[in-house]
Amino acid sequence: MSGNDINRRNFLKFMGLGGVGAATLTGCDMPTTVTIEEGKEKVVSYLAPEEYVIPGIGNWFASTCQQCPSGCGVHGRVREGRVLKLEGNPETLNGNGLCMMGQASLQTHYNPDRITQPMARKGGSLVPVSWDEAWKLLQENAGKVDAGRSAWFTGTVSGHQAVLLKALNKAWGSQDHYVYEAINNAVGEAVNEAVLGEAVPAYHLNKAKAILSFGADFLGTWVSPVHFAKQYAEFRTGDRGILMQVEPKMSLTGANADMWVAARPGTEGVVALGIANVLISKHQVSGSVLPQAALDVIAQYDVNKVTEVSGVSGDQLVRMANYLRGNSPSLVLSGESAHNHENGYQNAMAAMMLNILLGNVGKTIDGSNKLAVEELQAKTGSSAALLKFAEAVDAGKYDVVFFKGTNPLFTAPVAMDLAGKLAKVPFKVSLSMFLDDTTMQADLVLPLSSPYEEWNTSVAPYQPVEAAISMSQPLMNPLSSETRSFGDLLLGMLKHHGVDGYDFPSYYAYLQDAMDKLPASIKGSAVDFWADSVQKGYVKATAEGGSLTTKLGDLSQKAVDVGGDFPMHLVPSSNQTMWDGRNANLPWMQEQPDQISKVFWDSWAEIHPKTAAKLGVHEGDYIRIKSDQGSIDVKVYIYKGVHVDAVAVPMGRGHKEYGRYAKGNGVNPLSILSEVIEPTSGELATHGTRVSITKTGEHEELPRLGGSETQVGRRLVSTVSAEVFRRTEGA
Amino acid sequence: MSLKNVLENWSDYRKTHEQGGHHEYEHMWTLAIDLNKCTGCNACSVACYAENNLATVGKEKLHKGQGMHWLRMERYWDEPQMGGDDAEYHERGASFLPMMCQHCNAATCEPVCPVAATYHTPDGLNAQVYNRCIGSRYCSNNCPYRLRYFNFYSYYDTSWPEPLNQQLNPDISVRDKGVMEKCTFCVQRIRTGKDQAASEGRELRDGDVVTACAQSCPTQAIVFGDMLDEESEAAKLWAKQQVELGPYEQKKDKEGSELRGYRVLEALNTDPCVMYLDRVREA
Amino acid sequence: MFVSNNFLSEGCVKCVGKTAKRFVSMVFAALLGFGGLMFVGAAQAEVPNVVPPEGSYSGEDVPQPIEFPHDIHADVNEINCMYCHTYARRSKVSGIPPTSKCMGCHTVIATDKPRIKKLTEYWENKESPEWNKVHDLPDFVHFTHEKHIQRFVFKNEGMDVENVSEVCAFCHGDVKSMTVAKKMKPLTMGFCVRCHEANDGPSDCWKCHK
Repeated sequence: MSGNDINRRNFLKFMGLGGVGAATLTGCDMPTTVTIEEGKEKVVSYLAPEEYVIPGIGNWFASTCQQCPSGCGVHGRVREGRVLKLEGNPETLNGNGLCMMGQASLQTHYNPDRITQPMARKGGSLVPVSWDEAWKLLQENAGKVDAGRSAWFTGTVSGHQAVLLKALNKAWGSQDHYVYEAINNAVGEAVNEAVLGEAVPAYHLNKAKAILSFGADFLGTWVSPVHFAKQYAEFRTGDRGILMQVEPKMSLTGANADMWVAARPGTEGVVALGIANVLISKHQVSGSVLPQAALDVIAQYDVNKVTEVSGVSGDQLVRMANYLRGNSPSLVLSGESAHNHENGYQNAMAAMMLNILLGNVGKTIDGSNKLAVEELQAKTGSSAALLKFAEAVDAGKYDVVFFKGTNPLFTAPVAMDLAGKLAKVPFKVSLSMFLDDTTMQADLVLPLSSPYEEWNTSVAPYQPVEAAISMSQPLMNPLSSETRSFGDLLLGMLKHHGVDGYDFPSYYAYLQDAMDKLPASIKGSAVDFWADSVQKGYVKATAEGGSLTTKLGDLSQKAVDVGGDFPMHLVPSSNQTMWDGRNANLPWMQEQPDQISKVFWDSWAEIHPKTAAKLGVHEGDYIRIKSDQGSIDVKVYIYKGVHVDAVAVPMGRGHKEYGRYAKGNGVNPLSILSEVIEPTSGELATHGTRVSITKTGEHEELPRLGGSETQVGRRLVSTVSAEVFRRTEGA
Repeated sequence: MSLKNVLENWSDYRKTHEQGGHHEYEHMWTLAIDLNKCTGCNACSVACYAENNLATVGKEKLHKGQGMHWLRMERYWDEPQMGGDDAEYHERGASFLPMMCQHCNAATCEPVCPVAATYHTPDGLNAQVYNRCIGSRYCSNNCPYRLRYFNFYSYYDTSWPEPLNQQLNPDISVRDKGVMEKCTFCVQRIRTGKDQAASEGRELRDGDVVTACAQSCPTQAIVFGDMLDEESEAAKLWAKQQVELGPYEQKKDKEGSELRGYRVLEALNTDPCVMYLDRVREA
Repeated sequence: MFVSNNFLSEGCVKCVGKTAKRFVSMVFAALLGFGGLMFVGAAQAEVPNVVPPEGSYSGEDVPQPIEFPHDIHADVNEINCMYCHTYARRSKVSGIPPTSKCMGCHTVIATDKPRIKKLTEYWENKESPEWNKVHDLPDFVHFTHEKHIQRFVFKNEGMDVENVSEVCAFCHGDVKSMTVAKKMKPLTMGFCVRCHEANDGPSDCWKCHK
């Protein structure tokens, strides 16, 4: 340093003593400003803990994540009676991994906006009532309901909850149980059912050497993302498969693709036909596996025509065909952006055609094993259920409707006027953890316990190899003594209704009994089957599935109309952060930047630079997106990951209710959807809305994570070619 | 003192300097992150929030750059002038880069701390001692990776309203206003793992300690381990990629020149303990 | 990994809810001046291979819901500290004994005494008393009992486990002579650091502060 013999410590000491004037301080012996005074904090000991409970040391307990319908197994770290952290259960379908929703499901459990007592509508608003009164109200309004005049409207339901729900419906003389999920694979399932003879086949991403995905965001929101991410890791190692993604707006999967191809919304099927055309005409792939009708349709879609319709260049088509031809077996998937159109069924059918043409059926897409206990199978959701429900409600079919695990007043297009139709139902009951948009309209609100406070069984809808019953156990005491588990409520309703055979003190007792009655082939040789199941978090119960058929349906494509006054396509995209909006009340999820745009706590619209130039807008400028049903104003994010003709607004934000974190944040693109329906499956075509966009002149900085869009020349990440990778690290 | 001398001796100097101070490390904790497997899904980042009591600061403060994301996912688009795609669309998708404190062995944040609140531990970690920190923010200014986060406000009441605060991990502190914080390589897990091994009377084994990010990763793209344990998966990965701790430029052999392993901004001679493996694309 | 119904009884919620609370950035002057304070006390005969920490403090009387007589238990009846504070050798915390442990003896012993009657009342109501914490550390200090008990007792050659109270007394004072505990040692960082220096304890900040 300098010539003076002052080192940093002495310098500071001098400053400290002189500057602060604390000459009498005795260094570390100075009492701190933090409360460590005696008697200021309380300590409560355990009453009678189990032997393994040691304060200060965490114990791990198995349970099941319920944040999305995938049903991943988790291990929860429990310390001093509180669950602190979740990790993936390595023995379940998700393996070690757990996605961000799963991690954040803790905040669902600990959420400050949870409902902590029953509520009933009195004089127009919801007021707290006691459980006695709630049961009384339920008995008065639902107990004497005529046969067939009640219905359940729920999210995905499985396991013994499904069994009880069915029994309850039977007691009420109603068959009406609508299962609705805004993010679903229903169109794909319909095509699978028609062609393969099985709605949910097994996808083996890890066995594929090339994957062509038409809008199936299997790393984000498609079917079982964590499970597929695990397979994806395998797919990318060794010989490293090639991933191609065709969609109008870049999804997380698209961001990881070797080739991301922007197709005009709704033209995915045409692209698939074009690729088939190239494969047959240029690569001499034998079309004999396809029916003549299909070959005729394929023949119409030469490169020029496909380019004209979809905007995908001939070069891209040829490259995709080359990759598929050179890397067998491949796997062709279709998802959200291909399905949710008026021609969604044809899109999915065309994608399936490629699987047949390329001989993938039986290799990378295969017969799926089933759960051995049929009645516990998951009932998966669709939006057709929503449409049917709205119709029935409008016709005045129900006196009582129960809502659970879904928020249709947020996710249904305003055009449907679901709120108006629901006014025709005299008594609406919502079983919910939160005062979401739907629950706010209910006449009776029954507070649910969180998935980490209750006993339960559930069944993951997608588990094609080893099917299992997932066990949930409470990871801690309920935060509120007034919440009840869904199972307990179902059991209570059955008892109130005087149904025989449900005389159990609790759902826990019912579950133990029901599990005990499982066939010996499932129970196996465990000394204590119940304890063993709860400890592991699952019970393997696989029934061999059959093989697949290949009955290709009609491939002819419906032309996408020009749009007239509404030249743009609205893409209400889904992502893991918000899912269908259910994660909007979790601060961790709101704070998490979107993977693609890096926006947090707000909504944004994605447009292409060319579109932006035409409008004369820059990042953060507001645009007005107008459909025939209304308009929303939203800030833009401009990048080259969205089709020129599309404007993408991620769904999940724009809640009017749903607690302090969700309320008033962003806009809901679903609110301006036209009521377009995919006719074959009856699904709501959520991507089928045409819009116009205009500049509003307003500007507000887009709240997004700082930093540059590119690496501006720094070597932060480089790109190595797959050829080099295979040479140096290949199998 | 010539520039050459500074460059060549800086790393040695930093490692033997009293502030950085350990001639013999007990462990050398490192990460190896494969960007070929990383999908940018952000599970690691949320896992970090859950494990490390990270405050959520809200829209305005986050937008001002006051967020507490110890592990943040960088996303870059290919740039035309660098030989990337100049096409109409981002045909090769995005580049994701999970960035957490790089635990540099010649950390630039350490020597500038006026109160030695940040220093190197005997297990190769870049420590941040909260109760020592006076909030000068020199360290943050000096971090070339921008991976240190300052508590401009007290977030306890706003970030964890009852009962969210019950989720807080008691193994680590909740930081208050005026304190710098950053990724610790889950030091509480390292300490617990070591204590556990010690109480079982054995050496720490590979896999005893896993950071929250590595554990949550659905594709297992993040590998955590001790470089001094040659049998650890992380050490093997580093060796296989011919990346070493110490030099500011990796001397890979002829075959190795095609390997993907590198450290971010290595040429700054910070000697980071995080090795990345480049992303891969077909063309 | 198996949880039964009654596992989720009373947790230590009130205490741990605060364990992870905020702390205030300390005045940095308090961190200076290690020098001149390195007085080292003479080793006591009962605990071999240890230089006991120096320092004294006179704490306030802390009222407790039940005036627990440490003297009767530890002195008169010579019960080992770790019989009740059983977690000390295994965990960060020594643990307030579970109420079931108290009742293990007091369903038969001294059941007519007023304090035991009060205890029995708690037990029958399935509650645990809310004790007032006497030995509290700032939340950014992560002290672990296990390491200290292992080092001074179980891994200490020549040390008799019977005398563990002498080790406890390093930080908790002569509890044998008290009814309810009272803070008798300063428990400041200087108190800790001097002992660590004298006994070759770790000096890495991140051992205790994290």
